[in-house]
Amino acid sequence: MLERIVKAYNEAVFETDKEAAFEVVEAALAGGLTAEDVVFKVVIPAVEEMMSNITKDPDANLAQHFMTAQIAAEVTEKMLLKFQQPPEIIGKVVMGTAHGDLHSLGKRIVMGCLKALMVDVVDLGVNVPAERFVDVAQAENAQVIAISAMMVHTATGENGASKVRRILHERGLEERIKLVVGGAPYRFDDGLYQTVGADAWAADGVNAGRIIVDLIRGIKKS
Amino acid sequence: MTPLDILVAAVNGTPAPRIPVFCSLLDQGARELGMSAREYFANGEHVAAGQLKLRARYGYDNVWSLFYVGKEAELLGCNEILFADDGPPNVADFVIKSYDDIAKLEVPDDITAHPAWQETARCLKILRDEVGSAHPICAYLTASTTLPSILMGMDKWMELLLTGPADVRDELLRKCSDFYRKEVAAYRAAGANVLIYSTPFGSTSFVGMKRFQSLVMPWMQRDLAPGGVDGVVYYCGMAPFNNVIAQVMDELHINVHYISPLAELAEAKAIIGNRGLTCGVIDDIKMIHWTPEQTRAEVKRLCDIGKVGQHFLLGTGVMPLGVPEANIRAMLDAAFEFGSYP
Repeated sequence: MLERIVKAYNEAVFETDKEAAFEVVEAALAGGLTAEDVVFKVVIPAVEEMMSNITKDPDANLAQHFMTAQIAAEVTEKMLLKFQQPPEIIGKVVMGTAHGDLHSLGKRIVMGCLKALMVDVVDLGVNVPAERFVDVAQAENAQVIAISAMMVHTATGENGASKVRRILHERGLEERIKLVVGGAPYRFDDGLYQTVGADAWAADGVNAGRIIVDLIRGIKKS
Repeated sequence: MTPLDILVAAVNGTPAPRIPVFCSLLDQGARELGMSAREYFANGEHVAAGQLKLRARYGYDNVWSLFYVGKEAELLGCNEILFADDGPPNVADFVIKSYDDIAKLEVPDDITAHPAWQETARCLKILRDEVGSAHPICAYLTASTTLPSILMGMDKWMELLLTGPADVRDELLRKCSDFYRKEVAAYRAAGANVLIYSTPFGSTSFVGMKRFQSLVMPWMQRDLAPGGVDGVVYYCGMAPFNNVIAQVMDELHINVHYISPLAELAEAKAIIGNRGLTCGVIDDIKMIHWTPEQTRAEVKRLCDIGKVGQHFLLGTGVMPLGVPEANIRAMLDAAFEFGSYP
């Protein structure tokens, strides 16, 4: 039965059909699955499946990324209310768009996926000064700072990720807080993330979730 | 032959000494005139002067009437633009904050009477008078399915497009399509003759093929129906779209395609063939850190693929300010060298 549910849910997400995805979830609950099962055995595997599809399938598109994240976040939010006990949170990320950048779509996709992956997100919104990223990450004990930039000058400018790297270095935080970047300019130049001093980059919002989880685990292990 | 003649020859596949070479230097104009971005873009004479100086300095073929993409939002009521001296201006205040605002959104009856159009008109007049007889004048026009992203923000538009009420979505699309029709007529009347139809949702990198065919294509047909496609260039904001070129040619009759640097140029050229113009585009984000030699090698590669059988133009994306002058020169020198016909 679980296999059938997962397949139906994945198809709905792939077709960006939110209504159908929720119907699958309702039917699964009615059929005896717990809220925990829905999140850990259906939603998270679906996000992971989409991560792998995006990498393999050249026709994967932004609408699928967006709906994967939105559906995952909404289902998870609903299911969390029904959990027997609060789930274990993997870690915390502070996220926003680079200084001067007002494009919030990428951030929203990443946040949706992270919610389903049990990562706490502190959303700083758009046009965030570099100091604020670091101040909040320090205050919140976050393991990762994630910066989204959709324009070349906000991705590479001196007030964006490069400045965050400089502040992390000055404050001696580089071993405790990792820096990840994403957004269109990085897709056109896959070495750009190193130029701006980031530890990692993600080619899309869905895979950003996996990369952030890996960075959090790396920090916790060390 | 003038650069305009060379462009026409490339479209038609008639003899010419070289390929057309387009370069999009927009924000560089402020630096060229030694002023801030805010000051530069406030005045159409500045923008025209910047374009003319840049074209004269580097020798490429085209000039631009585009100030910044948010100009279209200003024509629809946006009052706040965030200027930066190291990159393009951004829309800082969305005209549509809730679905109720869609009903209130007004498309001006006469775009050319709108205060936000006046500086564009002034810029176009200067460009037309100074170089219009010899050089292509480019204009940038956003398709109905993409314009909402600068009116309400990309994520809110995605939400409405994919999950919102269809009647609200269609009301917004209808208004955006009406706007496009008026805008393209205004640009044509003012002398623009290369009309970049910016339609990122016309790429299946944005929406799947099913939605492209059922939703995006009909709205593009509506945008383009009254004015036709003369001078129109299909452009998806640097997203790849090779898999829809044939449909766009058959159903929209647009034969000029501005290919993404992320797509296979040879594949695009094979699809378009001698039915239109393939525009090969260099990855100008990589040009920020490439050496002049790397830039030159990439131009050669693109010309080697595209030049065969003519019907080819070499162009750039919206060249970032971070691209060194040496690379701009290397790109253009190589384009004229490797883009020459014997």
